[in-house]
Amino acid sequence: MSCEPERVTALVDGALEGEERARIEAHVARCEVCRVQAADERALRARLRALPAPEVPFGLEQRVRAKLRRRHRWPGTVRALLPLAAVLVLALWARGYAPFVAWELSRDHDHCFGRPRLPAQVWASEPDLLIAWFDGKGDRLPLLPSTAGRLALVGGRHCWLPDASRAAHVYYTSDDQQLSVFVVSHGVRMDDDFATSSGGNAVALVRLGGRVVGVVGEDHGDVSAFVTGLRTSVAALGTQGPAPASLPAS
Amino acid sequence: MNRDKSDEAFEAEILPQLRPLFGMAYRLTGNAHDAEDLVQETMLRAHRSFDRYRPGTNARAWFFTILHRLRTDALRRRGRRPETVELLDDGPPVAPAHEAALTSGHEEIARALAGLPESFRAAVVLRDVEEYSYAEIAKMLDVPVGTVMSRIHRGRALLRKALGRRPE
Repeated sequence: MSCEPERVTALVDGALEGEERARIEAHVARCEVCRVQAADERALRARLRALPAPEVPFGLEQRVRAKLRRRHRWPGTVRALLPLAAVLVLALWARGYAPFVAWELSRDHDHCFGRPRLPAQVWASEPDLLIAWFDGKGDRLPLLPSTAGRLALVGGRHCWLPDASRAAHVYYTSDDQQLSVFVVSHGVRMDDDFATSSGGNAVALVRLGGRVVGVVGEDHGDVSAFVTGLRTSVAALGTQGPAPASLPAS
Repeated sequence: MNRDKSDEAFEAEILPQLRPLFGMAYRLTGNAHDAEDLVQETMLRAHRSFDRYRPGTNARAWFFTILHRLRTDALRRRGRRPETVELLDDGPPVAPAHEAALTSGHEEIARALAGLPESFRAAVVLRDVEEYSYAEIAKMLDVPVGTVMSRIHRGRALLRKALGRRPE
């Protein structure tokens, strides 16, 4: 039988059983090389076993305890805050995502117009008054018409959106329709404009004078006519100036 | 289990193991500074997963498993696997000066041990210093029993070689 040095190691370690063990023992009894290996390994084992343990640095136990204590105070808190942090990151990302912004505006449109009484902070049928009121709060509105088709300007308010940003919200109503104009307070990732349906409303986002303006209504035709009117008057008169009396009927 | 109770239980399990844990960390890293870092990290990791530890089982083996895994991960992150070397033969064909080896001081064997590739060193220390069985070592190192046998064999062969070369 040829030598099986790894099995001799296993024999030294008592890791062989039954027939295999008997076979290797018989071989070692006859083979000088394997007998020497086994003897050397036993001697090595004895020396290794006798090695003194490396000295533990002074104060290790205290440092470990202290570290564990410090951890306690944090991990629970940190773990509890993780979902919140995730939501914040997601909100920051979503904030600039056009379909999400469209959804926010549509939701806010329904929210305000769904009230028994419109929750305006300022009532005005004159665009100048409304523009001045928002100006005083730090929001620059684009040039707004006092009427658009059958829709007439009635007022506005500051609304908080789900992404925790504040938008200027301007109300237009007619006997059977409502339309909202929003000035979004942050950037939105889109080309010049973006149109979609969200929450059963038609929503258009447009860039006007460096701001993103959102228009929300029940009808795509009304919304796009309103946007076209806004664009035309802004292009003709600058971002803010004397308001045109009305926009052409849609 | 409330937090205080669980912390008390953790400290009761862990603190008696600090010395062997540090010993193992020292044997693996080769210096007290890295060894302490490894022990601290092992403690934190063990503490975090203490709910998965079954009381009454071998706490030390559990800590060694965590320690070894952290060490392997750290080496992998640094782009270094625990070295393994090809051993061309199985050690000296004749006996090394083993009387000399038996009588010389601890320093010589400690140095020879430190010179082993880390994967062999871990297996040899777990077997010869900590006296775990092959099956237990296989579990701790997450390798098959055959690999444990081979690493111990190769580690010891390299040690025999290193000690045999010692000038008489």
